[in-house]
Amino acid sequence: MTEPRDSGPRATTAVRIPAGPPPDGPDGAPLPMHPQVVEELLRTLVKALRAIQMYLPNNPIYQRAVETTRAAFGPVWDGVTQLPLTVQESSLVWEGQTVFAGDGKGSDNVAWLLYKDGIRNLLLRPGVEDEELVPMLEVLNKARALSGDAEDDLLTLLWEQDFQFLQYQFVEVLQEGAVPVAASAGTPGLVASAPAEDLEAQRDARQQAVREEAEEEVQRSGVVKLEDFDSTLYFLDENEVAYIKERIDHEYSQDLRANAMAILYDLFETQVDQAVRGEILDILESFPPYLMAAGDLRAVAEMLREAKVLVLRARNLEGEQRDRLERFSAVLSEPAVVQEMLQALEEAAAPPPEADLAELFRELQGTALEPVLAALPRITRPGIREMLERVVTRLADSYPAEVHRILGSPESDALTGAVALAGRLKMQSAVAGLGQSLQHPDPGIRLASAQALGAIASPGAQQALEKALGDDDREVRLFAVRVLGERGYRGALKAVEAMVLGKGAETADLTERQAFFEAYARIAGAQAVAPLVEILNAGGGLFKKKASPETRACAAMALARLKAPEARAALNGAANDKEVVVRNAVARALREAAP
Amino acid sequence: MSDEKRPASRASVAITSAGGDESALRHAGRTLLLHLHGAQRALKLYPLENATTQRALDDLQQSATAVLEAEQELEIRVMGEFLFVNSLRLRLELDNYAAFSAVLGVFREFGIGALRVDEGIARREWQLLLSLFVGQTGKVPAGGQSKFDDLRARLEAGGAQHLVLEPEQEGQDFVEDAEAAKQAAKRTYSQGVAVTKEVMTGARMGRAVSVKKMKRAVQAIVDQVLSNETSIMGLTTIRDYDEYTFTHSVNVCIFSVAIGKKLGLQKKALYDLGLAALLHDIGKARVPLEVLNKKGGLDEEEWKVMQAHPWLGVLTLFGLKGYGEVPYRSVIVAAEHHMKTDLTGYPRVIRPREQGTFSRLVSVADGYDAATTRRSYQTVPIAPDKVLKEMWENPRRGYDRVMVKALINLLGIYPVGTCVVLDTFEVGVVAGANPDPTFINRPLVRLALDPHGGVLLPPGQLVDLAEQDGTGQYKRTIVKVTTPDRYGLTVGDYFV
Repeated sequence: MTEPRDSGPRATTAVRIPAGPPPDGPDGAPLPMHPQVVEELLRTLVKALRAIQMYLPNNPIYQRAVETTRAAFGPVWDGVTQLPLTVQESSLVWEGQTVFAGDGKGSDNVAWLLYKDGIRNLLLRPGVEDEELVPMLEVLNKARALSGDAEDDLLTLLWEQDFQFLQYQFVEVLQEGAVPVAASAGTPGLVASAPAEDLEAQRDARQQAVREEAEEEVQRSGVVKLEDFDSTLYFLDENEVAYIKERIDHEYSQDLRANAMAILYDLFETQVDQAVRGEILDILESFPPYLMAAGDLRAVAEMLREAKVLVLRARNLEGEQRDRLERFSAVLSEPAVVQEMLQALEEAAAPPPEADLAELFRELQGTALEPVLAALPRITRPGIREMLERVVTRLADSYPAEVHRILGSPESDALTGAVALAGRLKMQSAVAGLGQSLQHPDPGIRLASAQALGAIASPGAQQALEKALGDDDREVRLFAVRVLGERGYRGALKAVEAMVLGKGAETADLTERQAFFEAYARIAGAQAVAPLVEILNAGGGLFKKKASPETRACAAMALARLKAPEARAALNGAANDKEVVVRNAVARALREAAP
Repeated sequence: MSDEKRPASRASVAITSAGGDESALRHAGRTLLLHLHGAQRALKLYPLENATTQRALDDLQQSATAVLEAEQELEIRVMGEFLFVNSLRLRLELDNYAAFSAVLGVFREFGIGALRVDEGIARREWQLLLSLFVGQTGKVPAGGQSKFDDLRARLEAGGAQHLVLEPEQEGQDFVEDAEAAKQAAKRTYSQGVAVTKEVMTGARMGRAVSVKKMKRAVQAIVDQVLSNETSIMGLTTIRDYDEYTFTHSVNVCIFSVAIGKKLGLQKKALYDLGLAALLHDIGKARVPLEVLNKKGGLDEEEWKVMQAHPWLGVLTLFGLKGYGEVPYRSVIVAAEHHMKTDLTGYPRVIRPREQGTFSRLVSVADGYDAATTRRSYQTVPIAPDKVLKEMWENPRRGYDRVMVKALINLLGIYPVGTCVVLDTFEVGVVAGANPDPTFINRPLVRLALDPHGGVLLPPGQLVDLAEQDGTGQYKRTIVKVTTPDRYGLTVGDYFV
């Protein structure tokens, strides 16, 4: 029987309570409150369950639903000190009154949800609405979504919560094949030293045996005395308590997965049976996706390292199993796998520790290079970016052919990255590939290729760069002429000279024109003085060649680089040129050329 | 509906008074318990005027007053294995289990169900109560009065108005509850065995296992150990109930969880431990049945096969169908339960590591149950007390000594199921350690033979060996541990 409550104020919600006294309960006495109060509570609870299912905890609707349910307990506790509910297939019953009726055997029917997992009675106590309401709703919600073959059901979930104010009784619906525990079939007290059918003799034999045992023992050592025992055995001392605490901490702080995997590696080494090893390899091969999904990249790296160790240390390793071990790293380095990994990394709300990532990527092979390079521009977290840059450096150092392959793949998303990488690492062996990428339709890639070649700066690189002097893109040309000019690369003389002395000089913008003139001066040296003087002086006049003032200014600046007496003389001669652009350039050139 | 304050299965009860803060009360209750124990111990060891005794009484008075001020009431109640302060169940933890046991013991000694402390309690009243506890323990009141009535009368005579005693629950309800608890324990045990059988058979056949069932079985065992340890522990003495491997797994699970409880593990950790213990021998599912069930001794080759079961268990658990995540903790325990603390034993370890804590604990439970059981290849079980002695005294066994100590602490000098001869020429089966830890050599015994050799049919007659006659002499004392076979007794029958 539900105990009526004496008194005491409570928070309440508006509940439509019928006028008049509550109806009688099953025992004929009036119920302590109207069943509508409980109905209202359960209605609110079901609504809250829906809200919990649909909204996140920070959503106002979720929060309101919880608060409303909490308040709905108030009127109940005004009437009773505890609320027992009987669970039926489609209904909940309080004191013989149906206070909730659900529809069908679906997960939306709370009564069925409880009933199907075996719960038959629920008891709610004051306090359940405080700390335990939300966990209770969440457990019910979680249970609704469980499939038949799930690892949990409502009972296992409730057990884990260890509710204090919610009790339940259940029937064991999962108990199949349990053989009831029963006493043995034998006759108690049947001794071998007397005929089984002679009960008197049996009793005497037992009595005699007891007396012999007892007297023999008493004569020998007397009765058991407490002092005979080490009483400290029955209590743990302070050190032992501390030891236990430490051990339990150790149990719960260990890396369970790593330790379990270590056991597998040990087994692989110690068990030479090929079938056993095959089974272990099956397990290991199936693991990386789970580990990666769990974000345990360190364990994946550990696996790759251990695979190498096992190849070296396992005795009598068969060729096929050796191959399987050696393939571990290759499989994980496959572009599709690495791409997946990087995508997960980009999308992760909280990325795995950088140290774990570094450990894993350290173990990957060359095929991982392309996806990493392609992903790098998208990685925004500085620490991870730096780590991946170190990874690509290592991979490019160890697998230069992979860089060459990417450079020769105009469609690769990693091409820009590979070009830059080749330049950063001054990869001499990448010159041919960069020469190819210098022909790429994308001017950005061509510029990057030119820059990479400039960084490599070997004769081969400069030779490849020479082609960029005629590139369609001004930036590419400009970069190439500056680099080649600075380095005084003679191989480029013909192309540069053709530009300076040809019509191109008049069509290029001032910056480019100036770059070419300066490069010409640096590359050609003394040989450039006369042509440049001629251009400087080509201010027009009868039968004289005419150059634009800008071109003549460029020639003046180029002459300044040569520091030759003839060049200085020519500059002095043009000091009072009528064109202000020329005059200014000459003045500057003279200053720069001053000894 | 049942009494709201009675702990029920599968749900613990804790009710704070209105407006009370549960964690504050739990803390205050724990402090009170420690101080109660501390003061009682001080009175036992030192004279009343000793500073330590005085300080201990001050502490007790202070902590009781603190609860009274915060809660306006103070009641210490014993129900089953639990202690409640103002209806809040106190958790047994590492740093309070000695106090817990002692207070439980003294309440049982005097038949106290509850002690109510009213506002206005004086330090002198505590002193009187505790002096009576110390002075009257082990004594039989004159005139056939019960110990409870005697204590209550002495308290009243001493003017302790603010200490009100309630007797422990007795009568039909109690008997019915005990019977219901026993039935629940039996259901849990048989469910555990059935699930183990299903899992191991499933593993042998490559079928998926029901993780849900396994969870439920282990959760039920944890509940039983927490609420009704004696009944479930008694069932571990049943032999030949089903194949050894299945019952052994359940027994190891029960022992492990009970030791874990003794060591103060929380409920969730007890579950983790219980699951690992239940699965520790799963590798035997891959040992050929002709080896597993072979009668008599195993030859060298067969032993080798048998010794493979820990690592076969590892492979089985890694490949267990039906599991989402591999049960790594169980993998480790399956691999390590035959290792010694220095990692010798089997299987061989190459990568340096430490033996897991749960592996150490399960190893102790496994060693004890295996040695005390008749197996197909071990026809003569060893007496429980001898097994404990060997585990404790022989370092070559390689058990973790603190874990062994915890097992001894759990089982007592005479573990449950030990067959004993008494000085009354009766023969009995140990049913449980004495609730009062000071009576470590006086367990609860189910009498199986009367002094004349007459058989007392199971469950026999339950007696407490701490019981004294009118002259202060113990009524019964153990003189010898014996083998049940000698008297045609089946120990398990006394627990079913």
